[in-house]
Amino acid sequence: MEFKYFVIRRLLLIIPTFLGLVLLVFLIMRSFPTAQLVAAYINRKLAIPVSVQIQMAKAQLGLDYPVPVQYFYYIGALFRGDWGTMNLQNYYTGPVLQGIAYFFPNTIQLAIFATILSVLIALPLGTYIGSRPNSVSDQAGRIFSLTGYAMPAFWLGLLLQIGLGRGVISGNPVGVFPISFPYSVNLINFLNPPAWINTSLGISYPTHIMLFDALIHGDFPLAFSALMHLVLPVLTLTYGILAGLLRFIRAGMVDSSNQEYVKTARSKGVPEKVIIKRHIRKNGLIPTLTVVGLLFASLLGGVVLIEDVFNYKGLGLLALNSVLDSSIYGVAGTTLVFGLILMVTNLVVDILYALYDPRIRY
Amino acid sequence: MAEIQVTKQFQREVKRRPKVEDFKNTAKLFFKNKFAFAGFVITVIYFLLALLDEVYPSYLGVSSYSSLLSFQVSYSSVLPLPPTFDKGWWYYMGTTQLGSYKFALFPSVLGALKFDMGYSLIIVLAGAAIGVILGTFSATYGKYLDEVLMRVTDVFFSLPYLIIALAFIFILGRYLIYVVYALIIVWWPIYARLARGQSLYVKSTKFVEAAYAAGSSRIRTVFSHILPNVLSPVFIQLSLDIGSIVQIFAALDYLGVSVSPYIDELGNIISLGQTYLSVGVWWPIVLPGIFLLIFTVSVNMMGDGLRDVLDPRLRR
Repeated sequence: MEFKYFVIRRLLLIIPTFLGLVLLVFLIMRSFPTAQLVAAYINRKLAIPVSVQIQMAKAQLGLDYPVPVQYFYYIGALFRGDWGTMNLQNYYTGPVLQGIAYFFPNTIQLAIFATILSVLIALPLGTYIGSRPNSVSDQAGRIFSLTGYAMPAFWLGLLLQIGLGRGVISGNPVGVFPISFPYSVNLINFLNPPAWINTSLGISYPTHIMLFDALIHGDFPLAFSALMHLVLPVLTLTYGILAGLLRFIRAGMVDSSNQEYVKTARSKGVPEKVIIKRHIRKNGLIPTLTVVGLLFASLLGGVVLIEDVFNYKGLGLLALNSVLDSSIYGVAGTTLVFGLILMVTNLVVDILYALYDPRIRY
Repeated sequence: MAEIQVTKQFQREVKRRPKVEDFKNTAKLFFKNKFAFAGFVITVIYFLLALLDEVYPSYLGVSSYSSLLSFQVSYSSVLPLPPTFDKGWWYYMGTTQLGSYKFALFPSVLGALKFDMGYSLIIVLAGAAIGVILGTFSATYGKYLDEVLMRVTDVFFSLPYLIIALAFIFILGRYLIYVVYALIIVWWPIYARLARGQSLYVKSTKFVEAAYAAGSSRIRTVFSHILPNVLSPVFIQLSLDIGSIVQIFAALDYLGVSVSPYIDELGNIISLGQTYLSVGVWWPIVLPGIFLLIFTVSVNMMGDGLRDVLDPRLRR
């Protein structure tokens, strides 16, 4: 099969997954009574009587139709951008889609930094360990990845706060990293805040990522503080995926170093460095690629915990607060977004996989 | 006469030998692995402690928050008391604090361990039971059931488990028992996939064909020929999953999704200790977490060892 057709087939396969995901979210919503679904659309301050508003909301959501028809109304509403409204105390009040747009960039920032850091560490370390199976460094790596696998993410976050956090243990020389919030609030003049920062929501414009926005607007102290606030959450997230990556890279390396082509290369007199890099590692990475999607899923699950520990306003904390504040549309919207991220990740991973290993396309 | 007797005895021996010998070999291989052995011993110690606390609670002291609450240590300090070896084993880990009530950390952590391990065992076993039965039947009966089951598991796998767990807790209600139900709902698809894959493989083997040829009914074949051969990988997965379930259970309680604060649970104890983090009180956070970490690490070591031994493809 040509690569083009593989991609087209894989893209078409997204449709049933998407419909299933939306069905799950729809069932989550429909497990609540109609009155609660309508309640988010009622505004008592408007001049329109509440009974009329209820009728309008019901018509808009298609709630008078049978449940299967409502499903299609829901898909329509999703594509129109009507994801309902959420009311979270001390966090965010307004349309769900807007809230996701505000807080999603922070989460993506955490995830991307953690992914880059863990790949940068795992590739050379995994190559080193995988080319020396059963050595001392291999055993050390095994214990390291075992601990990372078994480490409760929230507890690791708290440990890092205690060990490296600023002002937690008095007189700690390495305690320089701030432990909460995406940036230092006291760097902003609250009486006369700059136009690009919304102080009540705690977000900035245009990218909603404080690090980049501060750089764009030339506020370097704020950018530096945003960078410092990133360190501990990113380290916590990195440890979890690093352990998984290391484990799989090592297993793949050991597996492919027993293959015939490696023996051939050795007998030809290819230098050991080239064998490890070109023959062993290139093939050993294939099984790792298949689990990248799963690792990313666990990363996203971990984001909820890390954002709670570090009070880092992002999508995970939005999802958690929706559950704690009983916001139906909030839970539905955040669940859907997490599912969509994972769907796109799996798509990208599959395509990369096919690019990397042509045998997969058949 | 004697000859016949010997033959009969020999036949009995032969009938008995493979299983016993196999088990002996497996156990020998398992205990040869130092990691696996250490993990096994620590896990057994944990379960024995939990059992002791359950059967004979007065021996370890108090095992529930509500009784701990009435136990006030001292008002000499506003903060939790640091670990000390002077006042007896109760205070080896210091105290933690809820409002103005101080209570000893060590006995409450022991109580919490029992609680955590019990619930995770229930979650894993229930998830495995549902998943294995559904997976095996869908593989054997095939067609529509199979297709539907695979699509359902697809949806579950397309979301991070913590997010689905949160969503189901939201639907069911924010109580501890619903956290357990939600985790069972999240966990069965893994076993369903595993059991389905394994039974598809077993279904194509000669001995299942022979069973059908000998007139075995479908349901009998499933229960006496396919299911026993599916169980070994499920068992490995199960032993690995106890570790992660304990973590997730503690994490969900740390997030505060179950409303009651009076739960003797490790995540809850850690989240309680977090109140005093900013003034440098580290022991109510670090020490309970170490107990949790040791448990998850040892369970993982045991599971890894089991996989090396039970998975015949890996045995060289």
